[in-house]
Amino acid sequence: MRTDVQISICGSAGEGTIAAGDILRNALAAAGYRIISFDAYPAEIRGFGKCVARLRATTEQVYSLKEKSDVLVCLNDEHGIPHVDDVRDFGAVIYEAKSITRLAEGGHVSAHVHPGQIPYPLALRELSERATGALRSRNLVALGYLAGLYSLAPEPFLRIIEKKFKSKGAVAEANRKAFEAGRLAGTQTFKLDMVSFGSPSAGQQSVMLSGNAAVVDGCLDAGIDNFFGYPITPATTIMERLATEMPKRGKRLVQTEDEISAIAATIGAGYTGARAATATSGPGLALMSEMLGLGVMAEVPSVVFVSQRGGPSTGIPTKTEQSDLNMALFGSPGDAPRIVIAPTNVEGCYRCAGKAFEMAERYQTPVVVLLDLYLSNRYETVVMPAKPPFEPNCDKPLAKQELGIGYRRFALTPDGVSPRALPGTAAGMHVVTGLEHNEFGRVNEQPENHEAMSRKRHDKLLAALQHPDFTHYKRFGDEGRVEIGLLAWGSTFGECLAAMFRARTEGMRCAAMKVVMLQPFPAVAVAEFIDQCDVVLVPELNFQGQFAHLVQAQTGRIVHRYNRVCGGPMVVDEILAEMLRRVGTRRQKAA
Amino acid sequence: MKTQPIYLEDKLREVNESGRLTYRSRSMPTWCPGCGYFSIVDGLPGALNDAGIAPKDTVVVSGIGCSSRFPFFVNTYGFHTLHGRVLPVATGIKTANDALTVIAIGGDGDGFAIGGGHVPHAARRNVDITYLLFDNGIYGLTKGQTSPTSAVGFRTSTSPYENLDQPLNPLMMVLTYGATWVGQAYAGRPQQLEALIKQAIAHRGFSYLHILSPCVTFDKTDKTYQRLGDHVVDVPKEHDTGNLVAAIALAANTNTPALGVLYRTVRPTLADALDAISEKAGYKGAGVRRRAAA
Amino acid sequence: MNAARHHVIIGTGVAGNQAARTLRQREPAARISLLTLSALPFYNRYDLPRVFRGVHDWREFLVDPPSYYEEQRIGLRRCTRVVNVDAKRKVVMLEHNEELPYDTLLVASGGRAYLPEELSEYQPLLDGFGSFEQAMAMRRKLPDEGTVAILGGDMIGLDLARTLIDTGHSVVLVAGKQTFWPHVETPEQRQELLRVLERMGIEVIEADEVGGIASIRAGARGFATRRVVFGNGRECTADVVLPSFGLVPSVEFMLGSGVGIERGLLVSPSLRTTDESIFAAGDVCQIWSGEEKRYRFYYGWKNVRAMGDLAARNLTGDDETFEPAQDETLHIEGGVTIHSPFWEYA
Repeated sequence: MRTDVQISICGSAGEGTIAAGDILRNALAAAGYRIISFDAYPAEIRGFGKCVARLRATTEQVYSLKEKSDVLVCLNDEHGIPHVDDVRDFGAVIYEAKSITRLAEGGHVSAHVHPGQIPYPLALRELSERATGALRSRNLVALGYLAGLYSLAPEPFLRIIEKKFKSKGAVAEANRKAFEAGRLAGTQTFKLDMVSFGSPSAGQQSVMLSGNAAVVDGCLDAGIDNFFGYPITPATTIMERLATEMPKRGKRLVQTEDEISAIAATIGAGYTGARAATATSGPGLALMSEMLGLGVMAEVPSVVFVSQRGGPSTGIPTKTEQSDLNMALFGSPGDAPRIVIAPTNVEGCYRCAGKAFEMAERYQTPVVVLLDLYLSNRYETVVMPAKPPFEPNCDKPLAKQELGIGYRRFALTPDGVSPRALPGTAAGMHVVTGLEHNEFGRVNEQPENHEAMSRKRHDKLLAALQHPDFTHYKRFGDEGRVEIGLLAWGSTFGECLAAMFRARTEGMRCAAMKVVMLQPFPAVAVAEFIDQCDVVLVPELNFQGQFAHLVQAQTGRIVHRYNRVCGGPMVVDEILAEMLRRVGTRRQKAA
Repeated sequence: MKTQPIYLEDKLREVNESGRLTYRSRSMPTWCPGCGYFSIVDGLPGALNDAGIAPKDTVVVSGIGCSSRFPFFVNTYGFHTLHGRVLPVATGIKTANDALTVIAIGGDGDGFAIGGGHVPHAARRNVDITYLLFDNGIYGLTKGQTSPTSAVGFRTSTSPYENLDQPLNPLMMVLTYGATWVGQAYAGRPQQLEALIKQAIAHRGFSYLHILSPCVTFDKTDKTYQRLGDHVVDVPKEHDTGNLVAAIALAANTNTPALGVLYRTVRPTLADALDAISEKAGYKGAGVRRRAAA
Repeated sequence: MNAARHHVIIGTGVAGNQAARTLRQREPAARISLLTLSALPFYNRYDLPRVFRGVHDWREFLVDPPSYYEEQRIGLRRCTRVVNVDAKRKVVMLEHNEELPYDTLLVASGGRAYLPEELSEYQPLLDGFGSFEQAMAMRRKLPDEGTVAILGGDMIGLDLARTLIDTGHSVVLVAGKQTFWPHVETPEQRQELLRVLERMGIEVIEADEVGGIASIRAGARGFATRRVVFGNGRECTADVVLPSFGLVPSVEFMLGSGVGIERGLLVSPSLRTTDESIFAAGDVCQIWSGEEKRYRFYYGWKNVRAMGDLAARNLTGDDETFEPAQDETLHIEGGVTIHSPFWEYA
């Protein structure tokens, strides 16, 4: 039986909402379900902000969260009430049965449950206090209740509770008790909702990773040597996890004093031949612009992970957006081309991370890997490859005879890539600089030289469009001519795929293309795709249509923008409505 | 007393045989005749040569400015970076490969105006690099603007009436930032300069050498050879280089800049700390993995 | 007048739902809150025996689809228990600690199954059939061709018995004073009716003849079987035991309100209680009958619905009196079945 259950847990910061969501998704993943999960946090660390943990458990592959959840757990009435609307008809709303304070009319969740939804009042506070003497375990009571109500095996939950709290002794035992108390209550409840879990598919072994965790794994599997970083939401967890893992492998990580020194040290390390990276968000990338240009000019490899968030300026640090594309592509003085790639899902984060090091090394350039908050913080079950699929050394070989007094670090070769002598190599000494230079690396202002070097720096990157074992772009959906095509990048592509599948069931001929390598741009393939669509829609989470702009500039074709800056992922229903609107208009015109 | 004549051929032979010329590149320095930097471009190769550090194992990193053209004039690996960013790049290079000898070079503007935010952190981390700060109290490359070490009252193209800002005292700053080797030299005393550079390189940890160097083109009034020559003194023999407060007191006296080693101590470097962390994390291998040089 | 009046109705049975419907028609702008203990919207209890005919989805029992409540803007509040009514402040106090102010209040909380005192200790061994959840629980417990022992045998229980017989199960009726409740019959009529029940396939045991029910036991561990032990030592075995002793009005929460209560809420012929803002309708109220010179109950779907409608109209300005909508006679058809007006519903 197909399983497709989306659960939202709503509470205030400090109520263990996110922890509950984390246990739940891990337990369901361990039980064999595929998971997509994305939580929403308040900006403050503690206090009164609302947290919503949201996850979708399925047996089939899905690409986004659903508009409507099947189950809502309210740990806090005030925060839960607005989310009751997010539950579908015949779904479940679980809430605290009794309030300790006197409520005015409408102050209780039960006042807001829709007639089609099923209310499950649960004595969370009482059960929590009876089980552990504290109110803090209400979140675990609720989890147990879910397990009991939906007949989920308790073992995966208990294992994860054990693991998560094992360093905290008595807390683990208390949480286990709270979970069991909730589960008992759940088994004794008459299930009236129309939500159910089928048996999970006996698939391959998968792990559950967030986008950022996948980036970390990609870095480690590609043999990252050095990481220099500065904390910034939502990229900080990349550095945090690397700070734990890299020392175990004898690799060095340093937290720098700002983003400028982070990218500077990264480039310095790259100059020595080490695989080095940094991670930041929009404001940090802005600070790094000048240095990235140095990396381009000096042809030094570096990898920069950028997790985009709401902008402009300090923007909205805890919301997702895709508005740093322009800066990633162009930010720096002059013509400073660099490779820009953007994964569309968590597995892509792993692959792009590892491949970024390959590309940085092979093409001797900075590589910007664009994620966004939604992707960074989203969890998915991923099947990892048995062996790390990354090349450990992509440097162009340097022949001994090229060394010596005549060594040209910036030799004009056919493919534009000049073999580099790493510091420590005898007779390979040279200077790299941010000034324009000749083949020997010596400062040179001559016009022919500047044109030749500019061409070198641009043309050498074109080979990245053929970089092996990399999905630069991919088309999904109907073959050949279609009524409407969706063209998207980054996390938005998941929602686009979901919209495309739905549109097809409603009789539309449509296709979707994701573009992962944004620079150099696969103009030929994208133009071909556009030419096969009657209408092309470009949904993206920025106001200016930065990707649409890029597509139009690179292909010379016209596309239609669909821009949202709603702080959250694109809404599948809204993309679909826009598709219907455009196709409808077109069909009308044709009729 | 009759002195022995010095013959040019002998001198040239001596220089050639010493090997220090192997550290000079084929590019002629672009500095103005008389610039103090000529002493340094001679002193550093001499120091490296004496210490037996091969050009292939040396990386000279610089910022932007007259001083920062330096890497082009020596025959080592070099990285001419961005204005103010020499220290973090040098940190990256050394952290990635600590078999390399890393010399960071910059001027007073590069180091203490735009680059000022990086100095405390390189110093407190005790990155094992040598920072040669060429202080001429002016922005020479852009043709003579006020710098953080320009004197009050100094007239420049951006302070045509006079400079209002109190100058910084880089030596005092670096001492309080936790640098483990702090010294001061003067381009007008090249032998002492070379000796101090050698000591700075030999020191295991963050070495800061402040080099007073006249800009003959744009500073005709303040930090000239004339005035500096009259005012510099040697660090008193009785000065305890292990006493930080005494070193700061010495550094505070800018009327008579003290030349020599002001402060010296030993503590774990950044690499030591990082390796200790690896050991703590359970890493059993030997040191940092490095790509084998060709 | 006051367009945003708040009408609160306690109980989503036939009476409460009809009242809500009528209220909405009469006052399009008023707020209506419909409170119930149940987790489900209004469904017909009379319909529940269908669980034995393969209908297991509660959605098929609903009288109105969920969208009806949204379209009609009827605030349906489920899993909501009233613990007190403060008639002075005109506030309904809910168990979960919420206060609901009202302009008018209609109590339509109906009745719940009555269990005689002497059997209350056996409650854990007994089943109910008053809600969807109870009906499904019984269906799960009852094996194919299983036996249900109906104690008492009010018309609700006998209606279920019909379906049980029809679907291949066995029924034992332990008959007593409440058999055929709420009908009133003479001893001769009663005997005749019991014979008809036997012809319908029901095994009838007269409680009086066997010394009354002494105790109820569970079967051996692991078996769901129940044993009803009579005073004279005789036993009867069943898979499920259903008390069927008529209804008792649900009025506990009204005790603090100050309105007149006998067994049910006492109301005038226009269904108003002793408080001018509080009305009552359905199985919960006793209506003054000028003819009989007493407050009496009126049962049956048609009556209850009429009461709901009347209360709503009187709450919104009318002043009419209740007229019983159905007769109360129990008929025998062809000597082999009985027909009760209390079994009829739309």
